[in-house]
Amino acid sequence: MMRFIKFVAVAAASIVILAVLGTFGASEYYTSQLGSGCANCHEMADYVGAVHGSNHRNVGCQDCHTATLSTKLRHIRVHLTHSWPEEIRLRDVDVVRMTKNCQQCHQQEYATWHAGPHSATYSQIFMNDDQNSKQHLMEDCFRCHGMHFDGSVRDLVQPMNTKGPWHLVRKDFGDQPTIPCQSCHWIHRPGTVQEKPSGRFSVTGSAVNGTLAFFDRRERMHFAATSLHIPQLQDGARLVKMSADPRQAMCYQCHGPRIPETGTVAAANHWGPQVGTGDDRTPTGVHEGLSCVACHNAHNENTRASCATCHASKGECKLDVAKMDTTYFNPKSIHNIHWVKCTDCHQHGIPRSTATSQVAGQ
Amino acid sequence: MKRVNAVVIGAGAAGGIVAKELSTAGLSVVLLERGKWYTSNDCRKDDLRNQRTTLLGNAFGPPDEGNPRVWVDGKGISHIALPSEGDYQNNAACVGGGTLSYGAQAWRYLPQDFRMRSTYGVPAGSSLEDWPISYDDLEPFYVKAEYEIGISGDDSATPFRGPRSRDLPMPPLPVNREFGILEPAAKRLGLHPINIPMARNSIPYNGRGPCMRCRWCCGFACEVDAKNGSQNTVIPIALASGNCEMRTECMVKKILMDDRGRAHGISYFDADGRLQEQLSDIVVVSACAIESARLLLNSKSRLFPAGIGNRYDQVGRNLQGHHYTGAVGYFDFETYDDIGPGASIAVTDYNHGTPGLCGGGMLANEFIRLPIHSLDRLPTNTPRWGLGHKHAMRNYHKRTIVVIGPTQQIPTEHARVTVDASVKDKWGLPVARLQGNCHPHTFEIGDVQARRAQTWLKEAGAVDTSLMTSRPEVRPELIEASQHQAGTCRMGNDPRSSVVNRDCQIHEVDNVFVIDSSVNVTNGGFNPALTIMAVAYFASESLVRNWKGTGFRS
Amino acid sequence: MRTKQTSTAFSRRTFIKMSAIAGAALASGCATHQRSNWEFFTEDEAATLTAICDQIIPADDFPSASQAGVLNYIDKQITRHYRRHQRAYRKGLGRANQVSQQQCGKILAVATPAEQFHVVASLENSDKPFFELVRSHTFEGYYGSPRHGGNRNAVSWRMLGLDEPPIRGRSLYDLKKGTPS
Repeated sequence: MMRFIKFVAVAAASIVILAVLGTFGASEYYTSQLGSGCANCHEMADYVGAVHGSNHRNVGCQDCHTATLSTKLRHIRVHLTHSWPEEIRLRDVDVVRMTKNCQQCHQQEYATWHAGPHSATYSQIFMNDDQNSKQHLMEDCFRCHGMHFDGSVRDLVQPMNTKGPWHLVRKDFGDQPTIPCQSCHWIHRPGTVQEKPSGRFSVTGSAVNGTLAFFDRRERMHFAATSLHIPQLQDGARLVKMSADPRQAMCYQCHGPRIPETGTVAAANHWGPQVGTGDDRTPTGVHEGLSCVACHNAHNENTRASCATCHASKGECKLDVAKMDTTYFNPKSIHNIHWVKCTDCHQHGIPRSTATSQVAGQ
Repeated sequence: MKRVNAVVIGAGAAGGIVAKELSTAGLSVVLLERGKWYTSNDCRKDDLRNQRTTLLGNAFGPPDEGNPRVWVDGKGISHIALPSEGDYQNNAACVGGGTLSYGAQAWRYLPQDFRMRSTYGVPAGSSLEDWPISYDDLEPFYVKAEYEIGISGDDSATPFRGPRSRDLPMPPLPVNREFGILEPAAKRLGLHPINIPMARNSIPYNGRGPCMRCRWCCGFACEVDAKNGSQNTVIPIALASGNCEMRTECMVKKILMDDRGRAHGISYFDADGRLQEQLSDIVVVSACAIESARLLLNSKSRLFPAGIGNRYDQVGRNLQGHHYTGAVGYFDFETYDDIGPGASIAVTDYNHGTPGLCGGGMLANEFIRLPIHSLDRLPTNTPRWGLGHKHAMRNYHKRTIVVIGPTQQIPTEHARVTVDASVKDKWGLPVARLQGNCHPHTFEIGDVQARRAQTWLKEAGAVDTSLMTSRPEVRPELIEASQHQAGTCRMGNDPRSSVVNRDCQIHEVDNVFVIDSSVNVTNGGFNPALTIMAVAYFASESLVRNWKGTGFRS
Repeated sequence: MRTKQTSTAFSRRTFIKMSAIAGAALASGCATHQRSNWEFFTEDEAATLTAICDQIIPADDFPSASQAGVLNYIDKQITRHYRRHQRAYRKGLGRANQVSQQQCGKILAVATPAEQFHVVASLENSDKPFFELVRSHTFEGYYGSPRHGGNRNAVSWRMLGLDEPPIRGRSLYDLKKGTPS
């Protein structure tokens, strides 16, 4: 009897020791050598490999990914039972948490983003009484707001009607950002290490940050900015001169024009997508051909502090362009900075010399 | 569980409407649905796993596990089919039913479609019959469906349509490039092309915005909720009435009959697999043609040993769908502008009136063109693989137009649903067994339709064409029921040759109703959704009219 | 002495650590032995399949099947939805190499593209069910949704002139008009 008890005690002790060693080992395994431990599980190898080829090559897995002990044990179980999902990806909670980890190194960018509308939270977007009373919330909201959310819109907000009052089902998401870093940045991108771009305003490939990529909710994957499409817009029948800057292809994914709608002149004439429809703000007039990011800081949508980048000196007319009567100076102005034309002010014809300097300014 | 006035089985096109009509009229209703309440998030525009292309499974049910069916081939050999396989003849199993993921063409049948026997006589070997109701009986309910569900389009340009007492509530969407190519060609051929009526918002309607013109309609759920099905129109109204409770993932086992031959409720397996009973004054079966027939046949009792409504062996007969044929046209210029919805133009000139043909069908341009659909729709001399195939894909994916249409099937009583006691589903219920085919004349009509599509495409400038026909000698067992399945509980005045009366009430059991495509006597040469909805409004109206407050009086 | 002690203590800790890591590694089946990069296929099978897939969709100015991730697609699906085809692949890939040995005296993976073409063409006749299986799966992997492991970066859709993700602006939210009457 005593022998049996002793045997049980020894067996139990061994199991405990093995378990402790196992979990301790698993933890060590994760932290070892910048993720080579993680890469040993071949389902993770591609992800680890991608990071090692990128600018984050000196960052260890655990610097960004905080894995609890239970997560680690789950990974081991999934690995042993061969039951990892078809697409290995982060859960929504992990994605929003990660913005804080990005902040550790990218403080400037984080601060700019945090100060602007691109950091709008789930409650700001989805608990907006004005919008919710006008239109049913729909899955498509998530395309641009909350693309990482796991679940349907009804799992986030209830009730699903235009009467309200609405409440967040996922209260933990109330103050989380709908457009976290990973909406536009692809950390585990395939490819090579990228040099710092030489010129900020270059429209050639080298100025495009390699991580710049749109996270498409449907495929649940990133598409690199350079592979995205820039639509050819029309102003009436006229083809608008479009900037070829691949960075602004990101903007069009959410700030896009509508296909001409029922009852519009454009639809009746079979014209293409029109400038200024939907959420499009493609410039026409004096600023036609400029990229969105020529004036806007993508992290916070704000325009750069001054128009001086292009308008270095006061023009022929001796005016400070930043103080002209446009929406840049005064949001209530009738002259939208995106579409303002010379003739809006020079209604009796443009002085010849002024016209030349405007073009040169572009 | 508390006894209710009505149990409605199936939350699809018809069941949703019945639940809404009854609950807003003050009846207490339990709406049972075997599937889940899916959203577009459950498919996210997956090319390979949706309700139309089911290579990696279907998106909106039923799941492949535990839901088999049996089908019988031309030699009489039985096979098992899973829901993601074509021979299963699947429709969706979810809240909204087929209307969650349909293409949303919302056609009215033509007046002749309700009088097929009177118009054409009975082809030998067929069970062609007239409906006991006429187009005029249904017209007000077509209007009601068009306004409550929300239909856009404009069919005023054709004389080949039934009279309309009210215009459609929404104008058509602006046309796409295929419309611009096909319309003048159709007019040159003397046809009358129209903007297809669609259950899709072209302008804001019912608190939901207009279509965003993506190309994923048919087989997918709408992300902007511009496509109108029962799940985003009538079912929310039913639930908001306070009189309707919907229970999802509930599989009905049988209809319970009392000793006087009347139904007093149903038994069902709830979401956790527990057997429950729900007592009710009336039972409405709206589970779609195959499953409705299966439930009636599985509801055997002492007084109804062959199942409910089956005294004359009629339940499950006349299974039909649509025989799709058409043609692919290849052009030397880009015809495809990637602006949805694909189907935009149709002609109804060929539905009736061709000498020697017993009906016909509508022809329209094809719905969506995802690359995965183009692979075997290339010019006939294209290599099946290799660089030649790749180049053909690159050349023709945006330079083809497909014109296709549902030929009205000539029904036979040999095409039928029975139950197979040797194969059980995951609840232990005998599964549906499908056998038989439509009348051979259907294929003759289909071939004519395909050549007409080819003529239209050639007139539109196609440099090459290929026909899309499927002949019975290739697939003698081909039923083609799936999403358009109909006919298994025929509506009629004679109990010996039909299952329900004109009010969709089972002849021999006055408090059991079948309200869905099962009652369609013939299935028209059109997508059937709007007619299913109109019949549901029609039947609900007479049901409510005959409801006396304490019970149903026949 | 002191130094030595520290060193011993350190090495003991390191030893425990290393054995724990090794234990965890062994437990997870990831010992250092040679293993395939694939979930289902061996490296040899993958090489054979690459040869067949790249004949079905060869490279031109757009990638071939394998370059676009078709093998990744098949490998993922064959351990999931297409589990029922595992045997067919195991056997079929073996037979393909036999045919290759007979026709050109070497396994398919090392044959020249012209030889590979002839082997695949004869498979189309001699081993129809297997060929059709690979043909459909190759097409699905190349032309289907990228999420399933193939069609890398939606490259086939771009090849066909389709924008991915497509740009569709949304309406602004003034939906007061147009309610049913």
